Amino acid sequence: MATSLPSSEPLHTVQLDGLVVLKIIKHCRESYPVDVTGQLLGLDVDGVLEVTNCFPFPSSDDDEASAQYQLDMMRCLREVNVDNNTVGWYRSAHLGNFMDLNLIDTQYNYQNSLSAQSVVIIHDVSKSAAQGNLSLRAFRLTEAFMKAYEKKTFTTESMIKNKLTLSNIFDELPIQVHNSHLVTALLHDLDSPVADANRLPSLTTFTSTQKTATLAEDNAPLAPNLEVLDLELDPFMQKNLENLLDCADAQQQEHNNYQYWQRSVAREQTKIQAWLTKRKQENAQRAQNGQSLLPEDEVNSLFKLPTEPSRLESMLLNAQIHNFTKQLNQFAGPSLGRLYSVQELQK
Amino acid sequence: MASRFFRSATDSESETDSSDNDSFISDEELSSDEDMSDADDDLKRDDQPKKNRFLKGGSDSDADSDDEDGGRRQIKSQKDKRYEEMESCVKTIENGEKNNDWTLISNGKCLTYDFIFLFFTLLVLQFTAEFDKLNKLMTKAQAGINGIVTPKFYIKCLVELEDFLQEAAQKEKAAKKKMNANNAKAMNAMKQKLKKNNKSFEDKIEQYRKDPDSLEEPAIIAVVATKKKSKNAFLAGSDSEDEGAPGSSTPAIDDAEFTTVGKGGKAVAEITSENLLQKLREILEARGKKSTDRNEQIVTLQRLLKDATSSYQSIKVLLALISSRFDANLSMTGYMQVELWRSVEKEINQLLKIFETDPSFYVFEVAEDFDDEDKDIIAKPGQPIGLRGSLISFVERLDDEFTKSLQNIDPHTTDYIDRMRDEAGLYAILVRSQVYFEKHNLAASIGRVVMRRLEHVYFKPEQVISQMEIATASVLGDHVKSSIITATDPAELVHQLCTYLYQQDVSVLRTRAMLCHIYHHALHQRFHVARDMLLMSHLQETIHQADIPTQILYNRVMVQLGLCAFRDGLIKESHSCLQEVQGSGRPKELLAQGVQMQRYGQPVAADQEQLERQRQLPFHMHINLELLECVYHTCSMLLEIPAQAQAGPNNKKVISKTFRRLLDYNERQAFLGPPENIRDHIMGAAKALASGEWEKSRDLIMAIKIWELMPNTQHIKDMLARKIQEEGLRTYLFTYASYYSTVGLAQLSKMFDLSTVNVSSIVAKMIWQEELSASLDQVTQCVVLHQVEQSRVQQLALQFADKAVNLVEQNERLLEQKNAEQRPEQQQQQKDRRGNKGQPGNQQNRNAVSGQRPFQQRTGGRNNFNNVFGNAVRGGRTQSARR
Repeated sequence: MATSLPSSEPLHTVQLDGLVVLKIIKHCRESYPVDVTGQLLGLDVDGVLEVTNCFPFPSSDDDEASAQYQLDMMRCLREVNVDNNTVGWYRSAHLGNFMDLNLIDTQYNYQNSLSAQSVVIIHDVSKSAAQGNLSLRAFRLTEAFMKAYEKKTFTTESMIKNKLTLSNIFDELPIQVHNSHLVTALLHDLDSPVADANRLPSLTTFTSTQKTATLAEDNAPLAPNLEVLDLELDPFMQKNLENLLDCADAQQQEHNNYQYWQRSVAREQTKIQAWLTKRKQENAQRAQNGQSLLPEDEVNSLFKLPTEPSRLESMLLNAQIHNFTKQLNQFAGPSLGRLYSVQELQK
Repeated sequence: MASRFFRSATDSESETDSSDNDSFISDEELSSDEDMSDADDDLKRDDQPKKNRFLKGGSDSDADSDDEDGGRRQIKSQKDKRYEEMESCVKTIENGEKNNDWTLISNGKCLTYDFIFLFFTLLVLQFTAEFDKLNKLMTKAQAGINGIVTPKFYIKCLVELEDFLQEAAQKEKAAKKKMNANNAKAMNAMKQKLKKNNKSFEDKIEQYRKDPDSLEEPAIIAVVATKKKSKNAFLAGSDSEDEGAPGSSTPAIDDAEFTTVGKGGKAVAEITSENLLQKLREILEARGKKSTDRNEQIVTLQRLLKDATSSYQSIKVLLALISSRFDANLSMTGYMQVELWRSVEKEINQLLKIFETDPSFYVFEVAEDFDDEDKDIIAKPGQPIGLRGSLISFVERLDDEFTKSLQNIDPHTTDYIDRMRDEAGLYAILVRSQVYFEKHNLAASIGRVVMRRLEHVYFKPEQVISQMEIATASVLGDHVKSSIITATDPAELVHQLCTYLYQQDVSVLRTRAMLCHIYHHALHQRFHVARDMLLMSHLQETIHQADIPTQILYNRVMVQLGLCAFRDGLIKESHSCLQEVQGSGRPKELLAQGVQMQRYGQPVAADQEQLERQRQLPFHMHINLELLECVYHTCSMLLEIPAQAQAGPNNKKVISKTFRRLLDYNERQAFLGPPENIRDHIMGAAKALASGEWEKSRDLIMAIKIWELMPNTQHIKDMLARKIQEEGLRTYLFTYASYYSTVGLAQLSKMFDLSTVNVSSIVAKMIWQEELSASLDQVTQCVVLHQVEQSRVQQLALQFADKAVNLVEQNERLLEQKNAEQRPEQQQQQKDRRGNKGQPGNQQNRNAVSGQRPFQQRTGGRNNFNNVFGNAVRGGRTQSARR
């Protein structure tokens, strides 16, 4: 299964086939409140990761069954001569709440054992629905993070050494959606005004008299979208805030842990200090009496500083909070504009 | 009497049985200590066989003692009685010998032994009584007994018995069958006993065997010497003991001649004028040495005191005597015996009296010592002489010992009350010595003694104080009048005492005086005065640096202030005052009214516990903890229930944590029985109040019996009832406001039994404070409620704002801690720079680093007193900081 091609160039773009995008969207939407995952298949060519196919993982808890399913699926695909080279995986998310240990662990496994060029595609279902923009993002773990994760040590010290911050856990890659010429032609064909209005049910807001006139415009690839004028702001904000609150709670928990650790370290250190001074006094006395000195390095075997709790979790939480706040900002700016404009209109 | 002896005689161990002995000693109440010591001395001298010239017969000594004073005759006749009894016992034995009845003899013998032993034990006890009943002396006295000659007839009896026994044994061998088993057994036992007993009298017996005449005259006590002589002889004797040399230079003891005693006595008698001071110095030099017997010193000093003629001598002796009395008890834990204490009290009074009557001497700490101590000094008129000594330390020590004894006596016994009676005397001494210090202008001492006086006064109600003052005035008489404290009115008195102390240089005195003053104000229902004093003194900012007794006093003041506020119906103030002490969960410890056995699951170290025990307040100064708890919870209820109603079901703002916890616990109970204790009552009332049933709530609160402990019970109950009505109304409005569009004031006033004016004022207040979104319609007399509900987003946003603040705070604290770890020296500077601003984070940090010392930890919380009264503004912040 593993890729046989040497990874010649570092990836700079992810190219998704239209089919893949649609399949991901379909899968994620159908099982909306639950987070789902799936496999990406394709090939990397000259720094461009071409994803040509994908299939969903069954959302069962049984690990063995899903692994078996995966194998079977791959085998079947190979038999029908479809691309069956694993290049990554995708998962759904809600309002950017994807930054967690689970994601990192899986992605690490992919990048470590399957292919160094693996990516994860995140499809944010809620965000796509709320703002009317498709939200698809491709991520890879950075080299530095991979190394740090290998050692499983996330102390403050090691993080400083590796220059790890919340912003360089992941590399985000630009995504291009690519369609075969045939599909593009079909789309253009569909765009033609001859199309039957009944097949486009989304245009209910317009009265039938206007139908024919606007049909072509609305269906054009970059037709103005009325969803951006939506004034229903609350659900999105609300969801975001709730997530933020959860994160804040978790972060506080982390803080407490860390503080507890700090305190115990301090306590231990005073003990060590006391022991050392005592030993020093003893030694001074022994020196006076002409006796041999006692070793001072015993202290390391006598006392053990408690190990620092992993900072990864707290870093991820920070990243998460960062995400949420950024989203809020991004959302609130245009929303304010909309509100003001509505206010003006109502005058 | 014989029968009593007989009864105790069956108990072979009676010589060690003190209770038996006590019953005997009570028979001899008339014999004074002196007489007994005389007897002791004389008995000692009886070792010399020459000295029994008047012991030819018991009647002789009787006649002699007839010449003496009555007390002596009494003891003589008792001794005679004993001799008679002994003789009769011997006779019984002899008779028994003749009858060959071993059981009888054995019993009789037992009886005599026991009798003798009892006699000895009596003597021992008398010694003990004299020398302060110490075990050490007991053994010494018993050693002395060996020296005491036993009555001759007793020895004779012993010898005869021994012989007889031998004979009997021989006879028995010859005719064994004659004797019954009982007899044989008794004889064997007798043999054993005799053998054992004879060992101690071996030499005597031998002597007797050699020459039966040498012991012919029974050695009974000779008391010919006059009282004075014998006393002097005793003095000499005890002196020689002091020096620890048996063959002392004092002639009285070594000289066998009786006349020399008289001579020696004369020589000692001269001491009165000249040698007294020398003796005193000898004693003082011996003080503190290992071999010195403190109790003997006391006795000697007492004697010296009697002989002292000039006031200089008396003062010197008294100073030495009082300090040696204080020396007698060295252990930290125990307390001075009450009798000892009383005698010290007496002596201090005596000393003060000398100072009052004789103006030529006074005592102060830094006086020059005279070189020629042995000479009597007479001051020139108008030029008082300062002697070295410290009266204030005596007085303070006396006070401390009084407190200590109160700490140790079980407060529920009459002993405690008896002991409390001594306070009047102690108080009189305080006043008296204060006057003395004023007279001699010893400013530092005045301050200290005034502080002591204040500490006896501040926690008492005015009636008690005025009673005490009257009693003191009557004890001291007119000539003892203070110039600085002139007031008789209790409030004025406390005020004068405190204002005097405010002028002192010593800051501890000022602080304590301030606290006492506040306490007194609070006790007498002057809340605002007390509160203003507390706030203006800024004590709450520095109190964590004070010594622990002062901190305890501070806690007491806070609690008293809280209770005072409660009595005045100032619920919020009361709650914030009590919060610190009661909310900590260990008010007992903070008020020094009990020792906590465990802390954080581990027992307290023994030495710490002891220290804590020493800080305990005597019972009569205690603040009733149950009442305290009751008041605290009632306040919490009145504040917490409306606040809960206002904030909705899942609010995080907690006014009183303990109350919250109790309430939660109470709500989790599956079944609730009728309320039993105070807590149950309050919890029930709280629940009733929350559901708008103010009447039930009121009834539950009124059912608490502990309100009776408050003065003006009815007034307090009325206040509480009113508060419950008001808070019930508020709670009702908060809870059900969303279901109404308008509420008639009349309806509300009917529901809560309040007048319409009251209702409208409460509602207006709520509206003004933006607790309730409503408006009052004056025309229709109703409250128009505006329904404003926060949208979910708003709620969440508010919550998030709170969270963010918390997070930032926590983060800062973390950073600070981290910096502290990395750069300890910088942190030190930082700490210094901060001074006492009392940053909770910093404080906690320090505690964590320096290990948890119990009282330091307390001071961490203490800082939050800053906002005791400004809690409304900053309470939330400190709360979160403490969490």
